[in-house]
Amino acid sequence: MLRFVARRLVSGAVLLLVISLLSYLLLSIPDNDVGRQLLGQSADQSAVDARNAALGLDRPVLVQYFDWLAHAVRGDLGTSWFTSEDVTQTIANRLPVTISLMLGVTLVTAVVSFLLGVWAGVRRGAADRFVQVLGVAGYALPGFLVTLILVLVFAVKLGWFPAIGYTPIEESPGGWLSTITLPVASLSVASVAGVSQQVRGAVIDVLRQDYIRTLRARGLSMPRIVFKHVLRNASAPALVLLGLQFIGLLGGAVLVEQIFGLPGIGGMTVSYTARGDVPVVMALVMLTVVGVVLINLLTDILIGWLNPKARVS
Amino acid sequence: MKRYSTRIAASAACAAAALVLSGCGGGGSASGGASELDIATLTAAQSLDPADAIGSALPFFQAAYDTLIKRDPDGSYKPMLATEWSYDKDRTHLSMTLRTGVKFDDGTAFDAAAVKANMEHFKNGGGGGAKYLKSLKDVKVVDPAHVVLELSQPDPGLEFYLSDAAGLMASPAKLKDGSLKTAPAGTGPYVLDKGKTAVGNKYVFTRRNDYWGDKAKFKTLTISVFDNETAVVNGLKTGQIDSAVLQDADQQTAVASDANLTKTPFTFDFQGLLLFDRGGVRTPALKKPEVRQAINYALDRATMLDKIRQGHGEITDQVFGTETKAYDKSLDTYYPHDPAKAKKLLADAGYAGGFTLKLPRVPSMTDALVSSIQTDLGAVGIKVTWDQLDAGGAVQKVYRDRAYSAMVMNMGQSSIDWLTDQDLVTPGAFNMFGTTDPTVTKLLGQVQAGDEGQAAAASKELNKQLVEQAWFAPFYRLQYQLVSSKDVKAVTQSGMAVPSIYDYSPAGS
Repeated sequence: MLRFVARRLVSGAVLLLVISLLSYLLLSIPDNDVGRQLLGQSADQSAVDARNAALGLDRPVLVQYFDWLAHAVRGDLGTSWFTSEDVTQTIANRLPVTISLMLGVTLVTAVVSFLLGVWAGVRRGAADRFVQVLGVAGYALPGFLVTLILVLVFAVKLGWFPAIGYTPIEESPGGWLSTITLPVASLSVASVAGVSQQVRGAVIDVLRQDYIRTLRARGLSMPRIVFKHVLRNASAPALVLLGLQFIGLLGGAVLVEQIFGLPGIGGMTVSYTARGDVPVVMALVMLTVVGVVLINLLTDILIGWLNPKARVS
Repeated sequence: MKRYSTRIAASAACAAAALVLSGCGGGGSASGGASELDIATLTAAQSLDPADAIGSALPFFQAAYDTLIKRDPDGSYKPMLATEWSYDKDRTHLSMTLRTGVKFDDGTAFDAAAVKANMEHFKNGGGGGAKYLKSLKDVKVVDPAHVVLELSQPDPGLEFYLSDAAGLMASPAKLKDGSLKTAPAGTGPYVLDKGKTAVGNKYVFTRRNDYWGDKAKFKTLTISVFDNETAVVNGLKTGQIDSAVLQDADQQTAVASDANLTKTPFTFDFQGLLLFDRGGVRTPALKKPEVRQAINYALDRATMLDKIRQGHGEITDQVFGTETKAYDKSLDTYYPHDPAKAKKLLADAGYAGGFTLKLPRVPSMTDALVSSIQTDLGAVGIKVTWDQLDAGGAVQKVYRDRAYSAMVMNMGQSSIDWLTDQDLVTPGAFNMFGTTDPTVTKLLGQVQAGDEGQAAAASKELNKQLVEQAWFAPFYRLQYQLVSSKDVKAVTQSGMAVPSIYDYSPAGS
């Protein structure tokens, strides 16, 4: 297992290096004229050129990249060109918001999807059809529409939750919960739709296996069979999907963070990329790659723990 | 400033999330009490160093720094860190008397040396506003309470600049070390609460109790940065935001029926086609005044305003704002929609068969705007082709490469004539081909060096000349709305797209 983890970590490091180079090159293709954006449309061209030179943008792209890399490996991710703040600090301020969202959605998705999926797979009939209709509806509804409806109904009309903003958990657990509930709910709709169908299908497959029939013949109760044997074997594909969705949530977080005015890294990724704030975008890319590598690793380990057949020798 | 029932919210959330939480009480994110002011903006400050202060980001700076001169909502100048000021006869020396006994929040005394250091820092700091002190030759320190600003030539905008970014005063002890970018040190009515501030997203300022003047009207000032007005409108409706300026016509409609919000319409930007290439470098046809006039006659401004802005605005043919001395109401309708006249003018100029005009299209340009321009100009024989560009790419191609003869832009209309002259008329960023004519040059000289009466008359004449010669093709002045909750009174600020922080007060105060 240790060798497996080490091998995955080394390949992750190589991936990080390759993606950092490709990202830097891609970010350098559009000539964003950062100096002009910083100084405003009416600034003199000489001042714009001077600002670009001060940021090192008058150097060849590869020189800029290796300069960035040399600092990055020492833990210095630089300073945002557009807010003058330390990049590490900027991301550290915003990461808890997005992590709150992603963990919240994953938790809600895991609990609700497994309940619905098992219910549909075991009961079949009307319950199964109901869950399938829910799944189709969850997929079919556009995410932005769900989000806007939730805001209008539960925040603007009923006033149960705040429409915008984020309260850190250390400031007020209740406030934190109230600020992330609607964003988590809106992101969970599609996630639950996908994972519950996966769980349902896997549960039905496992229930058809011979060993389940044997367990039944031995007189084991259905709940015991489901929770001890069926879930253990049916959870692997659902966990893979859950892991993929956790990574994909960053994309969904962009829209939700914009609508709810949440200061997370989803909305930040879009706005900083559009402006061409290379130090911040590079840090976000690196963070995402590290996240993807670690989550995939964790998913593999978890699946191996749940299903011995999947373990790597 | 509505406070949420966090008990209800938390209870529902607990159920929804299936979380077990004990003691889910505590405050929500909404502000509470009239002692707090929450402002929303779409413009972030790139840093809090006065050298980087520009445009609509000024409120961030006004919280922490005072300016030499204060600008009231009506645009009149009042004492602030300078108590008196006067020009000499040829308007090249501005003598200022400074307030004494004032200290920056790091304990450094404010005096004439601090003014000199700040002016030099702003002029040489590489910021977007540095050009406004181009005519500043030297700052002479007479004594700790008196300075004289020496100019290389008269600058009719100087008092405005000193009430704006160029007049912000920071502690001279912090000017060189770069710390002002995230930790301001000024004499202003608030100090930045770094613990509660998330740079680029939310800035929290707390009232300074040892402020030299009248204490700020709110204990806490929060300026939140958003990237879309949908979230701002939701915040206004739920009471989480006390005040914001809405630019988007749809969002203005969204708050129109909300009786809990006070709406104050005002105009600041105009939208129009800036015809940069009046020398015909890229598009030879634009060298002819008749062609530029034809473009103006071809535009159906009333329909555009109706379709694109849902009527939120005022059609205009002039680039000078309503508060300037140059403004002439009759010039708002100088070019009525007259396609036949446009065709005749094109024929007179030798372009009876029309010509092609290539324009940049940036993401902020809506389909309705693009199709209106294309249809109106196409109807008289001017074929418009669009280059799709992202905002950053457009900046590069328009300003540095000078790749386009014209561009649709939203431009702020200053209350000061000279600012419009500098931005749009004299060779520079928006006159990147450097075209002019003898009449314009003569009138600009009179605006710059003449006394008040002469300058006003020259400004009016200059405006008329620019409209007649069709230097630009403005569409309309955009109507914005200053929206505020019932708890807060906010008034619009002359010459700015957003109110100054001094323009907010608790309702009923």
